[in-house]
Amino acid sequence: MYSLWNLVSINFRRLVKLQLMKVDAVKTLNEIKTKLHESSDLKTRTMQFFGTQVSICYFAPITDNLLLNNSLLSPMLAYPFDSESDVLTTLKEKVLANQEVTEFTDLQSAVDKLLAGNTLVLVDGADEILGCDLEKITVRSVEEPPTSVVIKGPREGFNESIKYNLALIRRRVKSDDFVVKMMEIGKLTKTQIAIVYFDSLADKSIVKDITKRLEKIKIDGIIDSHYLVSYLQRNTHSLFKQIGDVEKPDILVGKMLEGRIGIIVDGSPIVLTLPFTLLEELQNSDDYYSQPIRVTFVRVLRFVGVILAVLLPGLYIALEKYHYKILPTEFLITIMNTTQGIPFSPFVEILFVILLFEILYEANLRMPQYFGMAMSIVGALILGETAVNAGLVSPPAVMIVALSGIAFYIIPGQAAQFSILRLCAVIIGACLGLYGVLLFCVFVVSYLSSFDSYKSAYLAPTAPYIPEDQKDTFMRKTIKEMKLRPKSIANNRKHSVRRGENED
Amino acid sequence: MKINCRQLSIIVFMSFISLKFLALPSLLYVYSGNMSYLVALFMMIIDGLYVFLILDLMKKCGQKNLYEFMRECLGAFLSKIILIVLIIKYALVAANISKGLEFFVVENLYTEFNWVVFVLPLIILVGFMVYKGIRNIARVSEMICWAIVIGAIYIGLKAIAGVDVLSYLPMFHDGVLPLFESAYVHLSWFGSATFLLMLFGKVDFSKEKKNQMVKYLIFAILLVQFLYFVFYGLFEVTSATHNYCISDISQFTSGQSSINELSWLVVSLWIVAQAVQLALYCYCIVQGLNMLFNLKGNTLSILIVLTYLFLWSLIGENTIGLEKVFFTHFASIITLVTQYIVPFLLLIGYSVKNRRKKYKQGEKLDEKIKNTVQS
Repeated sequence: MYSLWNLVSINFRRLVKLQLMKVDAVKTLNEIKTKLHESSDLKTRTMQFFGTQVSICYFAPITDNLLLNNSLLSPMLAYPFDSESDVLTTLKEKVLANQEVTEFTDLQSAVDKLLAGNTLVLVDGADEILGCDLEKITVRSVEEPPTSVVIKGPREGFNESIKYNLALIRRRVKSDDFVVKMMEIGKLTKTQIAIVYFDSLADKSIVKDITKRLEKIKIDGIIDSHYLVSYLQRNTHSLFKQIGDVEKPDILVGKMLEGRIGIIVDGSPIVLTLPFTLLEELQNSDDYYSQPIRVTFVRVLRFVGVILAVLLPGLYIALEKYHYKILPTEFLITIMNTTQGIPFSPFVEILFVILLFEILYEANLRMPQYFGMAMSIVGALILGETAVNAGLVSPPAVMIVALSGIAFYIIPGQAAQFSILRLCAVIIGACLGLYGVLLFCVFVVSYLSSFDSYKSAYLAPTAPYIPEDQKDTFMRKTIKEMKLRPKSIANNRKHSVRRGENED
Repeated sequence: MKINCRQLSIIVFMSFISLKFLALPSLLYVYSGNMSYLVALFMMIIDGLYVFLILDLMKKCGQKNLYEFMRECLGAFLSKIILIVLIIKYALVAANISKGLEFFVVENLYTEFNWVVFVLPLIILVGFMVYKGIRNIARVSEMICWAIVIGAIYIGLKAIAGVDVLSYLPMFHDGVLPLFESAYVHLSWFGSATFLLMLFGKVDFSKEKKNQMVKYLIFAILLVQFLYFVFYGLFEVTSATHNYCISDISQFTSGQSSINELSWLVVSLWIVAQAVQLALYCYCIVQGLNMLFNLKGNTLSILIVLTYLFLWSLIGENTIGLEKVFFTHFASIITLVTQYIVPFLLLIGYSVKNRRKKYKQGEKLDEKIKNTVQS
């Protein structure tokens, strides 16, 4: 019974297919043109080979003209077709043998590929359409990304092409364990997304969860990888970053080796990584190419930098306003001398300088590069100096905010979040003094402790404390000593060794 | 949301040290003089033993919460009464911490101060931590624990040069009785293991390390003894007038009468520790209320607890007498019951229940054998 049903269904499908797909080159071409609203950049050519009409169509801006001529048109025109030859089979097996050819049995998927840069070959009377990948890839060259500059170590950075980015990863990973799962998101942009991970290292349930979340996305377009962030993070309205981003293949591979999963988006040089812990922000790719002792020192410095960046202005106000007795007498006298005659309270003063700093920062970012230097000089030197001389702000206030502002960029990835936290600390410090700032700190720690990023605690391996992972926290041990994969990240083989078993 | 054994050890450690470094040393001195550190030592050892008793009960109860476990062992009525007494105990400790924090902040940080306003951010913080649950409190404790320990050791070491060892002599010049009297009167400052009762079914013992809790407890006792040794050795007969042990030691070392560069660091750490402890005890009250009234969500019970905290903040310094009654005599009885009687009751109840169960199983087996023989 079953085999009979199978036979019937197969024959029915064949019948339907035959009826649906019988290409009439001109008619189908017109259909495609209508589907694409007679788009001007859609180019078509029609040829005749012994009575069989062959049409090709492609989008000129995204098709490599040279490749089109050398790989498709010239071989086609040069091939000695005769009355006996089946044009479609000849094209597939002989003329385009060295090309990546896809066969389409329905018009919609053929049009989708056309939009993605394929050139369609329509043969009269054939039951399929051929698609040749002759896409012109126009990308930036592989450069060192501005946010991940290293002194030692690889300088290659991702660019906007998913193909190039995958190639950069593949060059480093020569394993059958490496998995690339492709999908398309965006009703209009049909952006290609790749989920990359090591099959034996990544937590399967996380991969499944990510895939499910991405599949559920219903959106017109994905322009950059950050479009996916709000769909992937659990605490949507949280101030803090919950998904990692990398711009370099060596960092991505390093993270994947720990069991993380990467999400590459076509058109974006930034690859998202999951799960994410706050500690990742304290780490830098340079750390793994430098002496461990130096790295430990630098990481402690980064941590202190973060605390200074967020709390210094708030603490300054609290101390100046409520707890001046805490300050050493000489220092207090210096502050009193410099703040004498300032018309504003310390709070307004600090707020003013912070505002000035933020405006300068935003202006500097958006300004053309050749204006940048001039802007810095005008902003930092002239404005700051003039404000102090005019008696609007005191030198300690400028110094405190400048120090805090510089410290932000020790961890550039969290600078935006920290600037908001700093503002909160300033307001709380002004209202409640040291007691308020302390409670604010506990609140932030408590808040950060309360959420997990894909089975990984946000503050791990500090809270919860994971002794095994302390080899790469504030202190960094040598690669040889880091035998186990981090337990703070949900991965497939939590206790697996990173190194070979026969090594000491 | 369960916590692991390490987190539990840290919470116990924090609970053991947090209330000990504020007013307690001076209060103990009034009753037991230069032997006060022995009272602390004695009581902390007993508390430590009770920690293990409660941990044993926790392991026996498995996934059940305290009320479910008590109901099985002692029956519903007695369980409800015990829950009420426990809630009172936690409420007293929370009030004690809140008041201690208020006086500590007033004394050390501000000249003009309105606690009713200043308590609001504390209430928000506590509310948030309680809402997020015990795992959140545990993680915050993990983050701040070592800073507090380092701060306390630093203070002690800096002041140790000024300690007069001879001030500890003569020993027991009034006999042993004042020590017991002192221990009883200040019982509410001890009983640091009672909060564990509310963590039944919330601890994951699967990765328990051998002697981990013992190490933390010994460290807590040593730390408290070390600072008490420094405190009584520094202030000698004036110990009773120094109400804030930890900040007074640092002020004494720097030779200034007010808060100074060293003190503020200690003050900061201590405020943080107290805030976390307050959250822990409020969490216990919330859990207790939930079990008592069979509440599904935490929101209502959290609101009740936060209102209670706010109401306590309205009680000013002039009602200090009332507080003393609350935190000494009344609280001592409550602590005696909750910390030292309830765990034993639970143990006895559990043993009786187990024996009954075994007896019933035996009876069934006998019957089966009888039936088999007859057939």
